[in-house]
Amino acid sequence: MAGTVIGEGLTIEGDISGDEEIVIHGKLRGRLTTTDAVTVGGTAVVGADISGASLSVAGQVIGDVTASERVDIQAGGKLVGDIKAARFTIADGASFKGNVDMEV
Amino acid sequence: MTERSVIGVGTVVSGHVRGQGSLEILGRVEGDVSVTGNVVIGPEGRVRGNVNGAELRISGQVQGDLRGTLAVLLESGARVAGDISGPRVGIAPGALARGHVQTDGEPALAAARVPAPAARAFSPPAARVAPAPAPVALPAPAKAPLPPPKPAPPKPELRKPEPARAAPAAPQAEFSPVRPIKPEPRRPPPPVVPVLGKGTKAKKKKSHE
Repeated sequence: MAGTVIGEGLTIEGDISGDEEIVIHGKLRGRLTTTDAVTVGGTAVVGADISGASLSVAGQVIGDVTASERVDIQAGGKLVGDIKAARFTIADGASFKGNVDMEV
Repeated sequence: MTERSVIGVGTVVSGHVRGQGSLEILGRVEGDVSVTGNVVIGPEGRVRGNVNGAELRISGQVQGDLRGTLAVLLESGARVAGDISGPRVGIAPGALARGHVQTDGEPALAAARVPAPAARAFSPPAARVAPAPAPVALPAPAKAPLPPPKPAPPKPELRKPEPARAAPAAPQAEFSPVRPIKPEPRRPPPPVVPVLGKGTKAKKKKSHE
């Protein structure tokens, strides 16, 4: 069980920060900062800059992403924004628009 | 499962949280919380803002108004500073609450809600018909500051005889064992006053002359 779960019907307007896993199925507008993994579920709509260890996107994200480990965009996921991560994958069927910095 | 939301122990949300479903707050929320379902605030949970929900179960700290459409329950260990309202209000032993409490339905809430905490302290008896425990507690601190002013004026009167007594007391101090006990508590202040300054002044005058 993740530390923080934002349910499907929930909307957060503001910043979320913490040191544990965050799973979002609802809506978030603001900023998201954690030292652990971030999961954006299929029903989620996130308009926020995200910073975390890793990010998995199955829903919709608009914002810049900084991940210390990896970023994965699942099939059906949508991400618009710049990505800075050591590893980055885009699944078949995912949509993405933005710059990628893999720290080469 | 997706309707249930959790704000974990290590998470801080600074902003408003609203929507459908229930919410469990184990971490911190700096902002208003408004959901259609139940709200549980864990022992480590802290909320600074108003909390609206169906059934509120508080074990942590809340600085803001609580409003439950079904119930508001303060568990042991809860600390609430704000108004509490709902059809059912429960405050368990060990819970701390400060504010107006109303176990009524919706309509009275709008009138009872006074945003300014300062206004609450003085206006409630007239503005609110509900016999809340809060007003009873408030008059006590209000009366407390009143008595001190009365004892204050007599003090100068007491001081006048003191110097007269002090003069004869000095010689007696050497013989009576009872006297020394009284002066002891009063002795600390005199040394603090730099009486030596007077002596130095006199010396200065003499030196000038």
